[in-house]
Order: sequence, then structure tokens, then C-alpha cells
Amino acid sequence: MTVGVLVLFLVLVGQLWYLQVLEGERLQELSERNRMRVRPIAAPRGVLFDRNGLALVDNRPAFTLSLIPREMDNRDAVLGRLSALLRIPYAELDDALGRGPADSLMPVRVRRGLTLEDVARVEEWKLELPGVIVEVEPVRLYPTSHFAAHLLGYVREVNDEQLKQGRYRRGEMVGQSGLERLLDNYLRGQDGGERIEVDALGRPIRVIRRTEPHPGAHVVTTVDRRIQEAAERAMEGHAGSVVVMDPRSGDVLAMVSTPAFALDQFSGTISREAWIQLVKDPSHPMLNRTVQSQYAPGSVFKIIVAAAGLQETTLTPLDRAHCDGTFHLGNWTFRDWKAEGHGSVDLRAAIVQSCNVFFYQAGLKIGGATIARYATAFGLGAPTGIDLPGEKTGLIPGVRRSGRRPLYRGDTVNMSIGQGAVLVTPMQVARAMSAVANGGALFKPRLVQRVESADGRILHSDPGLVNGHVDLSPMVWAFLREVLIDVVNEGTGTAARVPGVEIAGKTGTAQIVANSKVSAGQDHAWFVSFAPARDPRYVVVVMVERGGKGGQVAAPIARQIYNAIFLEKVAAAGLAG
Amino acid sequence: MPGVDRRLLQNVDWLLLAAAGSVIALGTVTVATLNVSRAGDSLVYRQLFSVAVGAMAMVLVASIDYRNLVRVAPLLYLVGLAGLALVFVIGRSVSGARRWIPLGGVSVQPAELFKFAFVLMIVWVLTTRWAQPVKKATLAVAGVVFIVPFVLIVKQPDLGTALILAPVLGLLLIGAGIRLRLLGGVVAAAVALLPVVWFFLKDYQRQRIMVYLDPYRDPLGTAYNVIQAKIAIGSGQLLGKGVAGATQSRLAFLPERHTDFIFAVFAEMWGFVGCLVLLVCYAFLLIRGFDIAATAREPLGRLVALGATALVTAQTLINLGMVTGLLPIVGIPLPMMSYGGSAMVVSMMALGLLLSVRMRQFA
Repeated sequence: MTVGVLVLFLVLVGQLWYLQVLEGERLQELSERNRMRVRPIAAPRGVLFDRNGLALVDNRPAFTLSLIPREMDNRDAVLGRLSALLRIPYAELDDALGRGPADSLMPVRVRRGLTLEDVARVEEWKLELPGVIVEVEPVRLYPTSHFAAHLLGYVREVNDEQLKQGRYRRGEMVGQSGLERLLDNYLRGQDGGERIEVDALGRPIRVIRRTEPHPGAHVVTTVDRRIQEAAERAMEGHAGSVVVMDPRSGDVLAMVSTPAFALDQFSGTISREAWIQLVKDPSHPMLNRTVQSQYAPGSVFKIIVAAAGLQETTLTPLDRAHCDGTFHLGNWTFRDWKAEGHGSVDLRAAIVQSCNVFFYQAGLKIGGATIARYATAFGLGAPTGIDLPGEKTGLIPGVRRSGRRPLYRGDTVNMSIGQGAVLVTPMQVARAMSAVANGGALFKPRLVQRVESADGRILHSDPGLVNGHVDLSPMVWAFLREVLIDVVNEGTGTAARVPGVEIAGKTGTAQIVANSKVSAGQDHAWFVSFAPARDPRYVVVVMVERGGKGGQVAAPIARQIYNAIFLEKVAAAGLAG
Repeated sequence: MPGVDRRLLQNVDWLLLAAAGSVIALGTVTVATLNVSRAGDSLVYRQLFSVAVGAMAMVLVASIDYRNLVRVAPLLYLVGLAGLALVFVIGRSVSGARRWIPLGGVSVQPAELFKFAFVLMIVWVLTTRWAQPVKKATLAVAGVVFIVPFVLIVKQPDLGTALILAPVLGLLLIGAGIRLRLLGGVVAAAVALLPVVWFFLKDYQRQRIMVYLDPYRDPLGTAYNVIQAKIAIGSGQLLGKGVAGATQSRLAFLPERHTDFIFAVFAEMWGFVGCLVLLVCYAFLLIRGFDIAATAREPLGRLVALGATALVTAQTLINLGMVTGLLPIVGIPLPMMSYGGSAMVVSMMALGLLLSVRMRQFA
């Protein structure tokens, strides 16, 4: 018995010798890895709401592949395995890991938007992949992938340039355009984190310390999601832009630029090829055409010319001109869009039927410098002050600018129908049209009403700002309004008519100078309007690039939008009642 | 009580007590270093309470003549069986096993206490007149005495405690002079029964055996304990990491670290050298126990000492074997070291039996 017990004890001693002395060092190392791990908890970005409290963009949880540099002992082998497992190029992993310090405890985010299959694969091979973890991060959830793309803007991992500013941490998601960029500081929130103990197999044992993430602040925009959606529907298949504005406050109710880009392609890791393709796309989907594209306003500009002439009394409503389709100035011949002419027209008829010849003569009478002064007073050719980056200024010829030649009479003739060198952005036109609707107040277009922290504190609020005023006599405002109503009721803008709603509007067809010989289908089509005409609450500006005639292409789009605004609202109210 | 006899006191085995005391002290210190607590109280106070109760039980057992104890063995055995049955009625359930009976402020584990009655009962069976010499009939009776509690304990389920009964029975049969051919037959029959036992095992029990055969088959699941225990022991290396450095144990990577796996904690803290000291204590204790059996004056004393030693030996070896990865994991505490009142008390009662036999050896 004693011998037996002794033998068994010797076996035990042998096993202990094996474990503690022979294998001791290796097991010691393993126990070292039974240690701390830092697990960041990403704060959800703030939610953007429309003016009625509907979410424009929200968050959803998504999987992110991360590597913990300190735990990557066998780095090359693990990266190789991971690369084969998830079909991620080895170089990409190597690159991502190489950008941080090699002994960092902080996980390096390598790829976002893992599919469930990817996650399952990583979990399955967990033991062969030390230092590889899958994090859950909130990412943006969009109603549809293109919805309000330019307005909202995309969110993408911080790039090297932004990193240099020192405000961001590597791997963070940062708003890169639109409101997401403008309000990034509010929206971003503050990431939390956990210090956890994990065992040698990476299983969490317990949480040592946890810092709760602070979710980003919510933003209440001025946008009306219903109108935005209707405008996007109406613009389907066209390139161009729509701005819907409240003329009483300058609130931007809808802002559409087409073609749009897919917002959600940035949530995951966008490949270099996809990015280059997007940037080089000849249709420029990344461009926000409402503020970043400049166009000749075409006949829309006649509103400005008429206002200038009436206010300066160089033009009266009773002035008549005979239009036979052509206008001669020296050796130059300017044509009306209607070859046979409009016959004898007064100012009202000239606007309603958009007669060019009348305005050629009127423009010369008023004078180029005066027209330019009024155009500038209406905010054209200058930034609107909207809080979006990259706004273009447009151009009004003859406005004192060094190095420019003085206006010749031919320039004035061209300018009086909104051609030649005149360039405006749709946002500028919407702002000017709001002034026509409200009697002269120029608002800074407002996109954001307020920013609220998650616990309801107001962090920022924008009460709106009048940053310009057009001084015209009430008679002139009244005349313009009545004439613009006639445009829609009986003139070039009849395609915009909506039963039961009085709309004031003006069509425009802007020739692209370089392509003036090409067919009419190459012209930019404009329709600018407000409604209800006698109590304006909505300004709708539609611009279709190379769409053709404003009255035929842009006006019907405006009608669809008005339909959504007025008729569907009535229907909805009826249902609710 | 026929106890307070001067001659008896002269023959107290102080060396045996010293070895046991060392082990208990080391165990208590180890429990104290773990920041495990229950209801805010450190476990070490409960453990000290158990040691005190155990010491009283030991003195009580030692002071009673073991012959009288064997005489009342059937009664103790029946009481024990009743306790085992009672577990199913009023037992407290912890993680799927009903092993405890609440008794005042403490929980009692009947299966542990039953071991004491079992040893005496087997000795009683083997020493009755008709049982001599050990034949098939004796075996059959012993078999019944064995199988009833075995099934009850397995059903709790507590496979480890149930299995301990088998080597105790085996060693007592050998001590009683069973012919080896007959014992071989019994063992063969037992082996033949293994597939049937397998059929009755719970899933987690089967898993454990499979994992023993192939530890890395499920490293995050069942084998987790084995791997973590090996890491703990191995990382102690030659001299250990000391109390503060024993991250495996103190940071809770090690499961069951204050009960079944306490040896791994000890090994991490004190290394190979510390383990040698502990193993020497145990070896001395057990060899001393067998020595007491061998030098007992008459067969009854020999069997009682043998049974008590067998009980402690089997538990010690199986526990150490499983913690060091030599045996599959069965839930058996390390005698006199693991936290747990019932186990501590029953181990010390076994010591009491040894002391009793030794004291009366020369009487």
C-alpha cells in the first residue's frame, strides 16, 4: 500500500515538474495574456430630424473587424489566415495595423460592415486568430441609400489629413459632407470604453472600469421629409436640383441634387476603386448642385430686369414693343425663342409669354449697370451664407471687379434675358424668389433649427437671419406677383398648375453658350415659383440640367412637388379627420 | 464516554496531527488570499469555523472506541441513506445539482458525511462472523451496501463523490483478505458495466470524459477548466509568483478556485518547491495512515484505519490528478484544503478514526 501511494505521488511530482519546470515558461507566457483588454464602445452619432420630428437618418448596429496590436504575437501568420478567411487583401490588413503603435492595447479598426457570415467565420477560427476581435459599432441607417444625400452628407472613417488636425482618433467615423460635416462636433458624441480582464483565450472575465459613451446630440433641421421625398421622386431620371424654401423664414424645406450618391456605401469600408469611380463619374454625383453648380438663369432673370426697370421708372407697365422674332444691334442679330415673334406686347405679356425682344429693348433702356445693381441686391452673384461648405458665388457681369472689361451694349442685351456671363446657383435663385414672395427680405437659408443634447439641453439654436433687403415700392412687388400668377395661369408656366392653389412662377430656358447650336434638348430648364401666391409659404425652384424648355420640363416637376405639398396634405388631413 | 484514559492520551499520534495541521493551515491561508467572498464575508472565516467544527468532531470520534462505532455502523449507514434521500426532497439546488441540505445557518452536504458511515458500514459487513472468509456472498452484501448510496449520489448528480466509494470498497476488500482472483472478477464485471454507466451519465459528465481524452477538442467549453488550471500551475514555475503575482487565481481566470481547484492556486503562488512541501505533508499523512492500519492490533482496527486512509488517499490522489491534468475532471475536493465545511469535517473525522485506532493499538 505504502509503496503504491509513494509511486502515485512520484507520478504527481513528475507531472508538476513537467508543468512547472519544463513547460513553465510557456504557460507563464500564456498566463500573461490572461490580462487586460480595452474595448472601445462607440458612441452613436446624433440623429437628424426633420421639422416635424421624423428621422432623416438614424443608427443601426454593425460589425467591425478590429485587431489588437499587442496581442498579435504571430502577426504575419494571423494576418495571412484572416486574409484568406475573409478575402481581404493582405496588404490592406498589414497597412491598417502598421499605422498604429505595435504594442497598443487599443483595437485598430480594420474593416467595417462585416456580414454575419464573416463574423461567424471569425468566431469559428477564434483560437487561430489571437488579437482579432469583432466589435459592434453603431453606423448610420438611411431611409433609402440616396435620400437627401447632399443635404445630410456622408460619414466616413477619418482620413489622414483630418488626423493631422489632431481632433480625431484613428478609425473614428467623421462627417465628411453636408450637415454631417457641418455639425460633426455635435453629432459625434463621445466614445466610451471598457477595461476588461480577459483570459488567455480571449474570453471576458469581468469589467474593471466602464466609461459610458455619450451619444451625439440630436439635430432638428428645417427640412420637411415629406417634401424632400416628393421632390426626389419628381426629379427621378433628371440631373439638376430642387430647392424648396419657406419665404417667411428662409427655412430650407427640401434640397435635392441629382444624380445623388449612395450614402450607405461609406458606412462600411469603401474600396479605393469604388471611391475613384465615384469621384470621376462624369455625372458628378458628389456635387451638391443646389449650391455648388452655377448656371445661366435664362428668362428667370427677367423678374430682376422688370423689377429694376419699374423701380427706376425707366420701364412702365404700359410700355409696348413689337416683337417680330429678331432684334438688331449694330451688326448683331439677337433672336427670340419664338421665331415668328410675339407681336405687340406690353411688360405683362412679355413676362407671361417670356418675350425676349421686349426685354432686349428694355434692358438697353434700363442700362446694364443698373440691372447688375438690382441683381446683386437680390443676392445673385454672391454667396447666400448657407452653412454648407463649398458654396459657389455665381457671377453678375459689370459688378465692379478688377480686371473685367466694362459692359458693352451687347452684354447688356444678353444679360437682360439672363444669358451671357450671368451665372447663379439654384440656392441664390430660391433666396431671391423668396424676396419676391415676401416683399424684399433676403434670408440666410436656414438648415438647422436647433441642436439638442441627448438629455434635452439646447446646445445650439439658429433663430434665422435676414442678411439682405431689396427695396422696391409696394406697387412693384404687387405688379410682379400678379404677372407671375399670370405666367402659371395662362403663360409659359401652365404645366405647373395645381387645382385649387394659386401659384406664381417663371420659366427659364438657359442656352449653354458652348453648345448653342445643338438642339433645344441641351438647354437648362428652370422653373421658379412660390405658392400660395397671395400668402406665400413655399418657394419651389426647379433646375434641370440639359432638360430642354423650362415650361415643358421643369414646370411639371414643380407641379408634382406642389401636389405633394398641398393635395396630399389635404388628403392626409382628410384621412386623419 | 469511555474516553478520558491517560494511557490513551499518551498514544496520540502527534506526527499525524502535525501533518494534517500543516495541510489545513496551508489550505486556510490559500483560501484567505483569494478575494472570493459570499454575502460580503470572506470565505476564510467560514473555513475556520469548519475547521473548528471538524476538530471537535475529530476529538469526539477519537475518544469513542472504534469498535463501538462499528457496532452502530448499520444505524449510521441508514441515517446516512436517509440524508441522501432527503436531498431530493428539501435539497438546495446550486447550478443544477441538489447536493445540500440547509441546516440552521449552514448547508450540509449529506454525500460527504455519508462517506464516514460508508467506511464503518463496509467494515461492519466484512467483520461479521458469517462474512469470514470473504466469499461471493460477502461480496454480494457489500455490493448492495455500495450500490444503493452510489446510485443516490450519482443521481444528485455528484459523480465525483460517488466514485470515491469504489476505491474505498476495493481497498477494504483487499484488507479483509479477499482472494485476488475474486477481486479481479469483480473489477472485470465493473469494467463490463462501464457502457451501462455511460448510458446513465449526464451530458456534461460525458463531455468531461471526452475532454480528458482530448483536451483541445473544446477549448472554450469544458476543457476550459483543464487549460486554465494547467496555465495556473505551470506559470508558478519553480518558486511561484507569490500571493500578489498569482494573476490566474486572483483575477478569477481559474474556475472553482477555492474549492476543487485550490491546488492550482497553491501551485501558482508557491511554485514547484511549495508543491513539494505540500505533497510531502500529504504523503506523510497517508503513509502514516497505512502504517497505523498495518500495525493495528486486531483485524477490526486494521480495517477501520485502512478504510479511513483509503478515503483520504483516494480523494487526494484523484483531486491532484485531475487538477494537474492527469485524470478527467470529476468534482472532488482536496481533503483538508478545499473550501467546504462538510468535506473538511468528514476528513477530520477520518483522522479521528486513525487517531482512535492508534491510541488503542497498545491498550
